[in-house]
Amino acid sequence: MKRRASSYVLLTAGLLVVVFPFLWTLLASFKPESEIRRNPPTLLPAEWTTSNYSGLFERMNMGTAFLNSAVIAVALVVANLLFCSMVGYAFAKLRFRFRNTLFGLVMVQLMVPAIVVMVPQFVLIAKLGLVNTFLGIVLPFVVAPLGIFMMRQFIADIPDELIQAARVDGAREFRIFFSIVLPLCRPALATLGLITFMTSWNNFLWPAVVAQSEDMYTLPVALAIFSNAQATQYGLLIAGAVVVVAPILLLFLFLQRYFVQGIASTGLK
Amino acid sequence: MKKKYAIGLLAVALAATACGRDSGGPAEEAQAVDTAKASGSVTVWAMGTEGEKLDAFAQKFEQANPGITVNVTALGWDVAHDKITAAIAGDATPDVSMIGNTWLSEMVKTGAIEPTPADLVDQNAFFPSAWATGVVDGAAYGVPWYVETRAFYYRTDLVKDAKAPATWDEVTGFVKKLKDEGAELGVEQNFRTGSWQEIAPLLYQVGGDFQADGKWTLDTPQMVQALEHWGSFFKDGLAVTNQPTGAFPQTFVAGRVGAFYSGPWMITSMEQEGGESFKDKFAVAPYPKGPSGGTSLVGGSNMVVFKDKPNRAAAWKFLTWLTDPKVQAEWYTTASSLPSVQAAWQEPALTADERVQVFGAQLKDAKPAPAVPTWEQVARVMEVELEKYALGKQDSAATAKRMQEQADQIGTGA
Repeated sequence: MKRRASSYVLLTAGLLVVVFPFLWTLLASFKPESEIRRNPPTLLPAEWTTSNYSGLFERMNMGTAFLNSAVIAVALVVANLLFCSMVGYAFAKLRFRFRNTLFGLVMVQLMVPAIVVMVPQFVLIAKLGLVNTFLGIVLPFVVAPLGIFMMRQFIADIPDELIQAARVDGAREFRIFFSIVLPLCRPALATLGLITFMTSWNNFLWPAVVAQSEDMYTLPVALAIFSNAQATQYGLLIAGAVVVVAPILLLFLFLQRYFVQGIASTGLK
Repeated sequence: MKKKYAIGLLAVALAATACGRDSGGPAEEAQAVDTAKASGSVTVWAMGTEGEKLDAFAQKFEQANPGITVNVTALGWDVAHDKITAAIAGDATPDVSMIGNTWLSEMVKTGAIEPTPADLVDQNAFFPSAWATGVVDGAAYGVPWYVETRAFYYRTDLVKDAKAPATWDEVTGFVKKLKDEGAELGVEQNFRTGSWQEIAPLLYQVGGDFQADGKWTLDTPQMVQALEHWGSFFKDGLAVTNQPTGAFPQTFVAGRVGAFYSGPWMITSMEQEGGESFKDKFAVAPYPKGPSGGTSLVGGSNMVVFKDKPNRAAAWKFLTWLTDPKVQAEWYTTASSLPSVQAAWQEPALTADERVQVFGAQLKDAKPAPAVPTWEQVARVMEVELEKYALGKQDSAATAKRMQEQADQIGTGA
């Protein structure tokens, strides 16, 4: 009993530390600009206002940006779940020449910072005529090396006997993949989906560079307009941050169980 | 992190565009433009508040010029540099873009920017200091769109008969007096991001400069002198380093900070922060004069036209419209951006507030930051060293020496 009580105290304290920044952000989004920057800072707004939110939606086409972000994130999640698990399956269970070399090449990509390839990548996308299109924003990320690695590690743990049994029963590779392997991968897929969604949802630089008109802007790109060398409008930015974070929080609440399982079984964070 | 990104990107962007384009040799010749037959649509990129407001503002231009449409895309300052360099590398630029005027030389080197036709744009209409920000290797590119410069802000209500200090010596006494009257934090001196802008005017005021003959001159007696003056406020407790980031400008409104140096945008933001009654409690004065005068730093933004665009005539027509004195004054009332065209300062919109007029006067004695491709990198290095200096971790001589060493490694990109 006593131990339980003390662990609750500890957990509550930990929770407070973790939740506080979110709480502060949420509360700050209802404060007027001058109060946000007041020193010493206030926790509860002295004066409640929704002007940050109304300003946000008035000055920016937030609806469009939200929709763009969502379409891109969902497209990337679907693509990554499908392709990463396919490639991961091949690396884990199929035998072909140069398998380890190819896998090594995939791993090398993990070590190349995205920024280094950004300009050449942009030139490529521009030559393909995909600047300012959804496809241009999505294409470089449809198969992520991290996803391949994750799925390979997970699928490698699936017993070979299961696959061989299916093969003996006459199943082709696609059948084995979709009917046997994929259903067993659910925790890993949930983790990969969540990671992909979060990365895409937060991705700033690439969409900002490829989207050349405001109707193609994603949420972070649209919000960046408010950040200025001289006069950053914190009220709008904070309200925007709440709008950006809310879907991820909701998603996490629903998928939390899988997320934890996935991390435990793949040893990845 | 971002700094490293920018450096990496710059290197890649330069490497990617270096092939086949030659920017050496004599100054680039501008091609003639016939704006009479201009038509088509012009895509314009503009940053921050200006970007948000320009789209609606440009409708007046469209009404006056049927056949031309202007599409403005607003982008954030954070990404603007990367986005434009990537667009240049990928040959996917807009027709016109606003650029921070320290970026110009780097972008001109890629060969993607059109020189300004002299018969279309009259260089004498602009502040010479502003015009200079658009000149690279003897050729002018684009037009200065708006300018900003720094001046001295101070509280008028704290000291009796407050008279703005005219010289470096007077400033020290003035800040002491402010401090005695309750402005416990003295003068606000930024020693973090952007701190080079504090040093630049002081360096100019002792007759120094950041570079000479294509070499960095950061370790000079003048630099040390400028650093000493700036540092003396920290040493004497007349400027503090222990305030959290973002505490200013609230501290000025609250009367804890008595003075600071900044640009014209602070007038509006002061009035917003302090409310209606605060309007009369502060004033703006030109920079106090150093041994060699009171030169300030000029910044701002230029509008440039990219090469090989089908609608270049319409693009240049839009730029000539943007730099018309009447339009510039109107733009000031829309976005509080100071006109780069001298005649615009006679318009009622600008003569109404004498604080604004101080900036007009200061602009006549102002000088831009060095126009070299590596300036942004060197500025970052300076900021790091200036912070150490302000915090008392190294003396002025060591600061100057370290800035010089690192700047030499970066080079001038020439």
